Amino acid sequence: MTTTLSEPPARAPRQPFLASDGQWISLGLGVAFVVVLGLPLLVAVLWSLVDPAVGWFAPDIVPTSLALDHWQTALRNPTIIGALGLSVVIGIAVTILTAVLALPTAYALAKLPFRMKRAVELFVLAPLIVPGIIVAVGIGAIFFRLDLVYTIPGVILVQTVGTLPFMIRILAATIEAIPSDLIAAARTLGAGPWAIARYILIPLAWPGFIAGGLLTFVASFEEFEKTFIIGSPFVQTLPVILWTYLGGRGIIFPNAAVVTFILLVPMLIVFFLACRVLRDDVLASGMGKL
Amino acid sequence: MTARISRSAAAAILILPSGGYLVLFFGLPLLLAFLGGFGLFTRGAETGFTLEHYRTLFGTRAYRDGLLFSTYLAIVPTMVSLALALPLAVALARTHPGQKLFNMLYKVPLVVPGIVAAFIVMTMFDRGGLAARVLEPIGIDLPKLVRDQWAIGVIIATAWKAVPFMTLIIGGSLGAINRDILSAARTLGAGPLATFWRIQVPLALPGITAAFLLTFIGGMGAYAVPNLLGPVYPLPLSVHMYVNAFERNNWGLVSAMGTVLSLISVAVLLAYYRATRGMRIAYGGEAR
Repeated sequence: MTTTLSEPPARAPRQPFLASDGQWISLGLGVAFVVVLGLPLLVAVLWSLVDPAVGWFAPDIVPTSLALDHWQTALRNPTIIGALGLSVVIGIAVTILTAVLALPTAYALAKLPFRMKRAVELFVLAPLIVPGIIVAVGIGAIFFRLDLVYTIPGVILVQTVGTLPFMIRILAATIEAIPSDLIAAARTLGAGPWAIARYILIPLAWPGFIAGGLLTFVASFEEFEKTFIIGSPFVQTLPVILWTYLGGRGIIFPNAAVVTFILLVPMLIVFFLACRVLRDDVLASGMGKL
Repeated sequence: MTARISRSAAAAILILPSGGYLVLFFGLPLLLAFLGGFGLFTRGAETGFTLEHYRTLFGTRAYRDGLLFSTYLAIVPTMVSLALALPLAVALARTHPGQKLFNMLYKVPLVVPGIVAAFIVMTMFDRGGLAARVLEPIGIDLPKLVRDQWAIGVIIATAWKAVPFMTLIIGGSLGAINRDILSAARTLGAGPLATFWRIQVPLALPGITAAFLLTFIGGMGAYAVPNLLGPVYPLPLSVHMYVNAFERNNWGLVSAMGTVLSLISVAVLLAYYRATRGMRIAYGGEAR
C-alpha cells in the first residue's frame, strides 16, 4: 500500500495501525520514575531517619540503624517550627494579595476589547521572562530606601511580583469560559460592576481561584531566591532554613532531609489538590505558554 | 463613541491594580538597574554618567568567565531537558496502563524547590553519595560530579526540575494537535518516528520554543543550585550579583550585570518570536 509514496518503505512489516505498545510505555515509565523519582526520595527519607549515634558512612548502601531522633529534634526546634509558621503566613498573604490584584486585570484581558491589549498581556507576563535574581536585587535597591528590606511585608511584596503572572493567566483563562451573555444579561437587569463581580464572576470563576490560589501558595512556599535576597537573615522561611543547612558551614544531611520533608509534604498535597481542580492545558498556559 | 471611551476607561481602571503593581515593583527596579549600570541614581555612590561599571564587568576575567558560565548554565541544561522532555511528552500522551498515575507522578518535581533538588543530587552523586557506594564494589569509579568543572551536578539538578515543566508545556501543544492529522500521516505510510519528527514536533513548536525559552532564562538567572553544586571557579554572574550587592555594596556593578543578563533574556525572547513565526511559515510551506 505504500509503494506509491516518495519514501521507500524498506522497513520490516509495519505494526498494526493502533499499536498496543501500551505495556512497554508503562514499563519504561515505571522504571524511569522509580529510578529518577522514587529512589532519590527514598534516600532522602533514609537520611532523615539516620541514627545520630551510628551515622551512615561510606561503604553502607543502607544505614545500619534507623531512629527518629532527627525528626524529634526538628519538631521541637523553635527555628524550624517558626519557619514553617512564617512560610504558611507569607504564603496565605501572597495568595490573597495576588488574587485581589489579578482579578480585575484578568477580567479586562478576558472580556474587554481595548487598544494595546497585546502590550498589556506581554507586560503582565514580563516577570516570567526576567531572571528572578535581577528582579530581587533591583527591588532590593528600592526597598533599602523604603526600609522594606529584611521585613516580612517586603518578602510578601517581592514574591507577589513572581506569582501575579500565573494568577492573571489562570483567571483570565477561566473567565474567558464564562458566557458573555450572562454578564450582558446581568447588566441589562441593572447589575453594577460590584454586583457582577460578586454574583457572577467570582462564583463562576471559583475553580480558577482555587487552582490559581493553590498554585500561588505553592510558588510562595517554595520560593527561595527572592525571599533570600530581600529577607535573609531576618526573615527565615523553610527554604531559607534548608539553605543554611546545605550551604556555608558544613552540610548537615539528616537535618536537611527532615526540613526537606516538612517543606515537601504540604506542598505535594496542595499541588495535587490543585491538579484535580485544574485541567492540564490551563495549568500549562498558567505555567508559561507565551 | 461614548460607549467606547468609557469601555477603554473601564479597561484602564481594571488593569490599574496589577499593572500599577508591576510598574512599581518590576518595571521601576529594572529601570533603576538599567540607569544604575551607567552610574545614575545608584545607592550610596556618586551620581553621574559613567561606563566604569561596564568596563569593570567586561575587563575583569572572573566576571567575563562568569557571563560565559551563566550562558553555559542556560544552554546545556535546557538542551538536556528538551532531549528528555520530548519523548516523555509523547510517551505520556499515548494510551497505556496507569496513564492517570504517570500523568500525576511526572509533575512531582514541579513543586520540589531547587534547593531540595540540589540536596537530592548531593545525596546521590556527591563523593560518598549513594551512586558511588553502589558502583564502587563493581569497580566503577565515578568522576567528580558535584562542584566539578563542567557543572554536571548543576545540570542534573536543573534538568530534574525542568523536564516536567517542559513536558507539561510541550504535552499541552501535542494534545492540541488534531488527531486526524496523525491518523492521516499513518495511513499515508509514516511510521511512528516519521510522524513524530515531521508532524508532531513541527506542530508543537510554539510550545517547545516557549518551554525552551523559559528554561533557558531560569538557568541563566539561577542562584541557589549553582551556588550549592557548581564549581568554585567560574561563578555564574548571578552569584557575583549577590556578592557585589549585599557583601560589597557595589550596586553600580550589580546593575550592569543585571542589565547584561536581562539583555540576553530579551535577545532570546526576540529570537523566540522570530523563530516561531519563521518556523511556522517554513513548516506550513513544507506540508505537502
